[in-house]
Amino acid sequence: MKLFKKKSKGPSISRAEALDRIPDKNVQISEERLDSGEVVIHYPVTMRPLFAGLVKRFGGPGVQIQTKKLQLDALGTSVWALIDGKCSVRQLINSFATTHQLEPREAEVAVTQFLRELGRRGLIGMR
Amino acid sequence: MLNRWKEIAWYGMRFKIPAEWQLSQIGVRYLSIEDELGPVMEIKWAPVKGQFSHSTHLKRLSALQKRQLRKSVKPEPVSSDWAEALSDFNASEFSWQSHSTRGRGALLYCPNCRNATLIQFFQKRSNPSQAFTVDILASIRDHRSDGQILWAAYDIRALMPETYQLESYRFEAGQYELDFTEGSQHVVLYRWSMASVLLDKQELVQFAKTVARFGKAEPVAGTIDGHDMVEWSTSPVADWQRQLSRFKGKASYCWMGLWHLEAKNRILGVKAEGKKPLDTAVLDHICTHYEIV
Repeated sequence: MKLFKKKSKGPSISRAEALDRIPDKNVQISEERLDSGEVVIHYPVTMRPLFAGLVKRFGGPGVQIQTKKLQLDALGTSVWALIDGKCSVRQLINSFATTHQLEPREAEVAVTQFLRELGRRGLIGMR
Repeated sequence: MLNRWKEIAWYGMRFKIPAEWQLSQIGVRYLSIEDELGPVMEIKWAPVKGQFSHSTHLKRLSALQKRQLRKSVKPEPVSSDWAEALSDFNASEFSWQSHSTRGRGALLYCPNCRNATLIQFFQKRSNPSQAFTVDILASIRDHRSDGQILWAAYDIRALMPETYQLESYRFEAGQYELDFTEGSQHVVLYRWSMASVLLDKQELVQFAKTVARFGKAEPVAGTIDGHDMVEWSTSPVADWQRQLSRFKGKASYCWMGLWHLEAKNRILGVKAEGKKPLDTAVLDHICTHYEIV
């Protein structure tokens, strides 16, 4: 048995494949539109087991689900509005680039960074 | 036909690529270009001292590759269509093959400016780059005779005097910056995108204040060629201040101009700083030739 076996990175996908993926919103989130037009996303976060254990030990309720808020700016709101579970990442980028008269590469960087951040928080998934 | 091509200009090198191709990597005298499927073209160049030997450089190039690829690099006779396109250069052709990609490229040497260029095209099964290679090669120019250097990447295009050297550059989503130096003088070209968002809740003057501050100097609004603009500057006024400025580490003469290209949804800016009085004629020339394509 190898003690220090290198972890496999898992299947990697090409850029073209990644751009063809379809982002979809997490069904557990709720969104609120402010007067300014910007969107606030409310999403559930489960407390980490270590902290949940500590809270329980001190008489707390144990595993808790908290709700967090994420307020998007104007650009984030415009990308968020485009996520409908039907459009691919490529279509989102093209739409964003057209709306804001951006270079395709610049729009791609902006949109994919934003989607990555949403994915990291569990607000979207990819199909 | 013209709008299917776009111009790239970087460190004195100029050429045209199909409009749907994109710059994917930018380095000092190096550019990599890709299409939707991945890298399609790479170009690097450098000035050469002394004699230039095509075979030596090809050997040096292949020695840098992995063993399997190294074996596949072989010189080829310059094909007739490429020879015609590269008639301004001393050219040699080469090809290579890896398990997934084939490559075909050329080593070019310009006897006028003593610049050597390596350009190669990657050929994948479904890659149509081959159709464009002759037009791209025919558009390559590595020197100008008017003392200017053209810089064109993504959507910006600027013409700078050749004495200004590019010291640093930054291409980030929303903001581009090119910093040029000439002696102790710095000229920085800025470009912000999505101006409609940046100026949604503030005027150009307020935005300008977030970009640079020169002591107590305040940005003054105006117009240039029908575009909203602001400019502000500072310089030593009294004689003793001018004398003192020589011993200061920081630049004493500063100027900045920003203008809003509403139709393009961009803000362009030029900042100049130096320890000596700024040459307004040069700055006018830089601003006039700095544009969005």
